[in-house]
Amino acid sequence: MLTVKIDGIEVKVEPGTTILEAAEKAGVYIPIMCHHKNLNPFGACRVCLVEVKGSPKLMTACTTPVTDNMEVITNSEKLKRIRKTLIELLLINHPLDCPVCDKGGECLLQDLTYEFGITKVRFDEKPNNSPVDHTNPFIERDIDRCVLCGKCVRICDEIVNVEAISFINRGVETYIGTAFDQPWNCEYCGQCMSVCPVGSLNNRVYLFKNRPWHLEHTESICGYCSCGCTVIIDHENNEVYRIKEDVYKGVNKGLLCAKGRFGYELINSTQRPVTAKVKDGNEFKDVDFDGALNTIYEKLSAVISKYGNDSVAFVISPRLTNEEAFLAQKFAREVVKTNNIYSLETINALPDGTYNDVESSNALIVFNIDVTESNPVLGYSVRVAGRREESNLYVFYPNYTPLKRVATEFYVYKPSELYNEFELFLKALDGENNKYSEAADNFKNDDKPVFVFNPYNPKDVEIAKKVLDKVSNVKLVPAKAKNNSQGIVDMGCFNGMNPGLVETDKGVELREGIEADKIKALIVLGENLAVRSEYFDILNLLNDLELFVVTDPFFSETAELSNVYIPVATFAEKDGSFTNFEGRVQSLHKAVDKGVKTDKDVIVELAKKFGTTLPYETDKIREMIEVENPLYIGVDWNGGIVSYPYKVKIDGDVKFEIKGSGKYELYPAYLRLHSGSYTRRSYDLSKVYGEPIIEINPEDAKELNVKDNDYLTIKIGNDSYKYRVKVDKKILQGAISLPKDFKETAPLFYEGSYLKVDLIKHI
Amino acid sequence: MARNIFDYVFFTEIMQGLGVTLKHMFKKPVTYKYPFEATPIFERFRGVHYMKTDEQGKPKCVGCYLCERVCPSECIHIETDAGPNGERLIRKYEIELDRCIYCGFCEEACPVDAIHMGRSYDVVRPTRDGYRVNIKFLVKKYKEYIEEGKGE
Repeated sequence: MLTVKIDGIEVKVEPGTTILEAAEKAGVYIPIMCHHKNLNPFGACRVCLVEVKGSPKLMTACTTPVTDNMEVITNSEKLKRIRKTLIELLLINHPLDCPVCDKGGECLLQDLTYEFGITKVRFDEKPNNSPVDHTNPFIERDIDRCVLCGKCVRICDEIVNVEAISFINRGVETYIGTAFDQPWNCEYCGQCMSVCPVGSLNNRVYLFKNRPWHLEHTESICGYCSCGCTVIIDHENNEVYRIKEDVYKGVNKGLLCAKGRFGYELINSTQRPVTAKVKDGNEFKDVDFDGALNTIYEKLSAVISKYGNDSVAFVISPRLTNEEAFLAQKFAREVVKTNNIYSLETINALPDGTYNDVESSNALIVFNIDVTESNPVLGYSVRVAGRREESNLYVFYPNYTPLKRVATEFYVYKPSELYNEFELFLKALDGENNKYSEAADNFKNDDKPVFVFNPYNPKDVEIAKKVLDKVSNVKLVPAKAKNNSQGIVDMGCFNGMNPGLVETDKGVELREGIEADKIKALIVLGENLAVRSEYFDILNLLNDLELFVVTDPFFSETAELSNVYIPVATFAEKDGSFTNFEGRVQSLHKAVDKGVKTDKDVIVELAKKFGTTLPYETDKIREMIEVENPLYIGVDWNGGIVSYPYKVKIDGDVKFEIKGSGKYELYPAYLRLHSGSYTRRSYDLSKVYGEPIIEINPEDAKELNVKDNDYLTIKIGNDSYKYRVKVDKKILQGAISLPKDFKETAPLFYEGSYLKVDLIKHI
Repeated sequence: MARNIFDYVFFTEIMQGLGVTLKHMFKKPVTYKYPFEATPIFERFRGVHYMKTDEQGKPKCVGCYLCERVCPSECIHIETDAGPNGERLIRKYEIELDRCIYCGFCEEACPVDAIHMGRSYDVVRPTRDGYRVNIKFLVKKYKEYIEEGKGE
């Protein structure tokens, strides 16, 4: 330990600590501009200059490590003068358009100017005035306001590892831009924008809509993918204006993806209905909440008395919080007395590895999942691990993903070959000598190997199981898709599973029940069955149900088929908790009220009609969960990790199937900037990726004579489907990718996830 | 006592009063026949606001929300958005005149010299509806001021 004296305050710090960190420990404030907690020290802005006793020169606090018995002065007349001049120099070219700049009110330069009391710049002011760049759909770039702190460049390189932007030119001509001034080619994660201390990079979704001093901040959990990122919801008058991060909070450490950061506009969407609808004949009629509940109650009681309890079924979506899911299954099991409770989630793979395990691991395999698209924040952790000098990251995927930059080896094979190749890898783990031997040895001999996979594909789960059998200390990371994919299963919203994954009597299978007319009343809470390819063929059967209730924030494709539709709240409008892919339970807090009910209201009020009182307060429900759910006994609802009884469970061998006999192999892509059917409602995300697009290799494109934005017809058997084309050299020749979870692709993927198809140019 | 009888008999107090009246009959009147005659307005009087426009006739307001922030009676309501070319667009600029205390803080805070306190005060209306004025009204007021030469 070293002893350092900062402004007379003595602190003991570890060797290698910088003056800035030591000052933080001593509670001494040093102004900073180019320094960021998550980034390597840079020392570009010189605002943090301090005096060190015995040194004739000033030192930058953020880059200078402390030495033993160092005496530092952070606040003297000389330093004040120098810092003031530094800010004045920055202000020479900085346009003083604070009233129209979105950063006005939360700008570091503005704060420092105020702090140093600069009212007049002594130099000739020459504000820059070049046009603003609007080419990026999410980020407005005004290079005139830039102070060249380099935070954006560094975060794009050090953390996101895309290196989309960099310093261009030198000296006074330096500016931040892309190579050869090409359009931005990035993931739109907005990390650069979030660290910009001035208004050089601004959020276009929030652009000019409000000012920071108006906004109220509510800390909550993001409601899209299963990463469970902590977000700060900025809102005013029940309108969400911005979603921000906090570097000191959450598992994401201040990192967000495009979905979480820019996909919030759907909460404010004017397309969201506010009144319940009941189908009268073929027309929907607006009714009040109680009217809709009465209709449900009447029809549900009629169905129960006529066809029995088992004719009622519930489908629960991962959009529900743990508390809502628990009440929903309780209502189903104890009030309706049915075991027909379904969710389209899986219990084959349960959480095991955490972010920490991934980041600290030196041997990782990412198998058949584009984790940077499906779970972007997990993707950052994989990149952190992959970037380390001594680490080995092996990726198996049918095309090149952004992990290519950090992967030790990126194995790209067509889907049909990929599994065979991995069989070879598994054999190498057993000791067979083949091309994967070295990789297998590295993986096997590491202290903490990590295996990231897609838990929804049974074949992938089987492979994860095989890996676990061979390498017993491996941490399996099932990259779950939706925000509460894990939580609803834990809460017993699964056929044959009570809360806490306790087995119970199984109801009839959902598909079989609907096909055989055993299910007469179906209550769908939040799920959008119409875009789920597995159920595409039985959609028309849903029309014949006596009662079909759908709750959804939007009037979804499934809601159009229902008898009763109730609009419900999104994640920003309710309290509760979500369990992420690590098994971490985190609380979300209500930020806005859009005048719609929550799923909890629907269940509790409906139970009341049946004469049962279910608790409404979150605390009371949690008490009940802690009693009835063995996994959640004594769990910390603010970040506690649940320990699960098993990692993977799969019976027998699963065969990899690829249907069809065409020339091209089609595999499901992970949604670009989307996270299921919900985010498609976001206007801003859909600007970038609004419809399913076939990605195709340039060679194949040449052969088929198609260019970007042409249409291609996919032919499988007697069916044809038409989609737009994007030519991309990351795709393998002879393979094409297309995202699932779009209404347009549901019928195609009903045939199977992997298909052999023919392509015809559509004229 | 005798004096009292004298006053009593000859109505001297009434005469004195009539004398004052008579004196004022030859003086310049001080009353204004409002609303038929305009009353004088002093230089520093703060009346209904107006908004200045630029050379193209567009309001100078940039939607910085500073007037809304500084307003003590919270009578200014602004909504902004990004325009089609990425410029700052003012969707709404409203002042509730019935809540305004005419303190002039908005005028002080405005960084672009857009909102000003005018001189007119005659805004009495039978209902409250008309008291919410928008940017169109404020610009119209500015035109009136220019025409009448009452502007700054």
